Amino acid sequence: MSPYDSATSSGGGSGSSASSGAKPSEIDGLLAGAGYKVRSSDLRHVAQRLERLETAMVNSPAEISHLASDSVHYNPSDIASWVDSLLSELHQTASMPSDLPDLPDLMVAPAINHTVVSEAAWTDRDAPQQMNQFTVVTAMEEDSGIRLVHMLMTCAESVQRGALAFAGSLIEDMQALLTRVNTGCGIGKVAEYFIDALRRRIFSPQSACFGGSGSASPYENEVLYHHFYEACPYLKFAHFTANQAILEAFDGHDCVHVIDFNLMHGLQWPALIQALALRPGGPPLLRLTGIGPPSPDGRDSLREVGLRLAELARSVNVRFAFRGVAATRLEDVKPWMLQVGPKEAVAVNSIMQLHRLLGSDSTRNSPVEVVLGWIRNLNPKIMTVIEQEANHNQPGFMDRFTEALYYYSTMFDSLEACTLQPEKALAEIYIQREICNVVCCEGSARVERHEPLGKWRARLGQAGFRPLHLGSNAFKQASMLLTLFSAEGYCVEEKEGCLTLGWHSRPLIAASAWQALPDASSPLGIVNQNSNHNAL
Amino acid sequence: MQQKKAEEKEKKPKFCINDHTDILTEILKRLDGPSLGVAACVCRLWSAIARNDSLWEHLCFRHVASPAPSSVRPVVLALGGYKRLYMVCVRPVLSRLGHSDLVRRRFWTRDEVQLSLSLFCVDYYERRLGGASASSLMFLCKPVNV
Repeated sequence: MSPYDSATSSGGGSGSSASSGAKPSEIDGLLAGAGYKVRSSDLRHVAQRLERLETAMVNSPAEISHLASDSVHYNPSDIASWVDSLLSELHQTASMPSDLPDLPDLMVAPAINHTVVSEAAWTDRDAPQQMNQFTVVTAMEEDSGIRLVHMLMTCAESVQRGALAFAGSLIEDMQALLTRVNTGCGIGKVAEYFIDALRRRIFSPQSACFGGSGSASPYENEVLYHHFYEACPYLKFAHFTANQAILEAFDGHDCVHVIDFNLMHGLQWPALIQALALRPGGPPLLRLTGIGPPSPDGRDSLREVGLRLAELARSVNVRFAFRGVAATRLEDVKPWMLQVGPKEAVAVNSIMQLHRLLGSDSTRNSPVEVVLGWIRNLNPKIMTVIEQEANHNQPGFMDRFTEALYYYSTMFDSLEACTLQPEKALAEIYIQREICNVVCCEGSARVERHEPLGKWRARLGQAGFRPLHLGSNAFKQASMLLTLFSAEGYCVEEKEGCLTLGWHSRPLIAASAWQALPDASSPLGIVNQNSNHNAL
Repeated sequence: MQQKKAEEKEKKPKFCINDHTDILTEILKRLDGPSLGVAACVCRLWSAIARNDSLWEHLCFRHVASPAPSSVRPVVLALGGYKRLYMVCVRPVLSRLGHSDLVRRRFWTRDEVQLSLSLFCVDYYERRLGGASASSLMFLCKPVNV
């Protein structure tokens, strides 16, 4: 009988529980209505066999034509034996598939009975030597992928419990399993990155953290960021959506000031400069303040970017001034550095920066409150906030790990459509650094503390901001941009005035716009930390 | 071709389109992109006329519902010119956003114009940045996934 009879199944599969309350040896009622006799307890077994049969038939069409020409000598109404006999027909070694252990179903259940998994892992090691059929190996590969995910969860759970020795041994098992899976794409690739991240966390936590202060050179970060920009539409979506919102907010103003929390190569701003150049009524005076990390080797990279942007602005006749603010962390920036003038319309642009402030330093005001406070004091016409739509800031490691696994799997999936090299490879390294930071680092080193849109809404609302609806122009533009990418699968959604871009209905990045609630007591541009707490 | 021209000259009053470059320009203005490219290969004169950026300006904005404001031209010229705008942005954008057989007849909206111009600007900027990584618009060159 099938091993599912034992009480090891972690999530309760669809098979035996679907035929509600029926005894396991009874025939399944629903299928009986269609003319098939299957025991309820065999349902999962049969389903897996059918999948394998399909894989086998798809992969070797030439060999199976004899099955079609034979008159019925199997009894299809008894699906279980029918599918078994067909499978054994297709493979030389008689009834080999039934020697394979039935693999546990993939369920999202953190509490996995790990003895089942490791038993299955042991028997699986012996089985491959007997197999020399390509078709069955393909089925094995799929199952290996599923098993990898299981083992990743188990390993993460062991790490959370503190059982590092066991987790370490699982790492070794998983790396062995990786050799049998295609790591060029799909689950194999994602699993490889996560196994690597777990390995770093277990064996070398000090050197593991990327993205913490100073561990990766700003130049490297810029290059990786640029390739991520090229390889997939997330950053383009962010830039274009934010620019559209800023453009609309600046309507009617002659003196505008944009503060960019992460300048990088300044790729966002050419489009805004061009749009301002073409706006009816002529361009305003545009000031741009770009914040970025200091360059280690004496180059002033912020200034270089500023010069390029100034050159562009000059060629399209937009009066332009640039200022660079070098700061390692956003919380080190003080508002006086930005030199906001009293009559300017200010726009604050934060693309995936605010979440870095969420590391809690409980001795004082948390950094995010401090920063949101001075932003509010600047009284910006608009603040554009683009953040990853994920919950990677939960206190429990297991929750974070699970969430990250699903989030980054989706992101890697979407990256499959990209064919540009080396953009794709470097974009993957960029994502890998994020993964490592989420998985390996703790405390102040963990800067990738992504939170979903709902939490940001609450946080920003509490800090004295009200949401601005991103208009239909932004939505139209985003949809057009995605059509240009011509990879089916990206989708833009609008949720209460915010736009999200996702892959196959899983949102991955969210864009929103905010305005400071009017607060008469704080004059523009003057820092007054105490007014954070003034009620409206 | 010279021979044929000579024969025609004998038969009819002399009319050679190449003598009337203004008419030729007017005709070429009405061609679509691929035809204009073919026309540019006919002879040196046609090639010189086809290189005229105003022809490509006409091509880029021919099917816009409302005429482009006068401020657009200096911007486009500063960023590389209408021919480049057409080759790099307008043609791929139109063919992606509509179907390729409708490229010639399609009206495009102000939003599509704006988007093309923005992408053109990003392309210009990336080329100035360092040349090596001017691949922001490469995604437009990829064949469409069916």
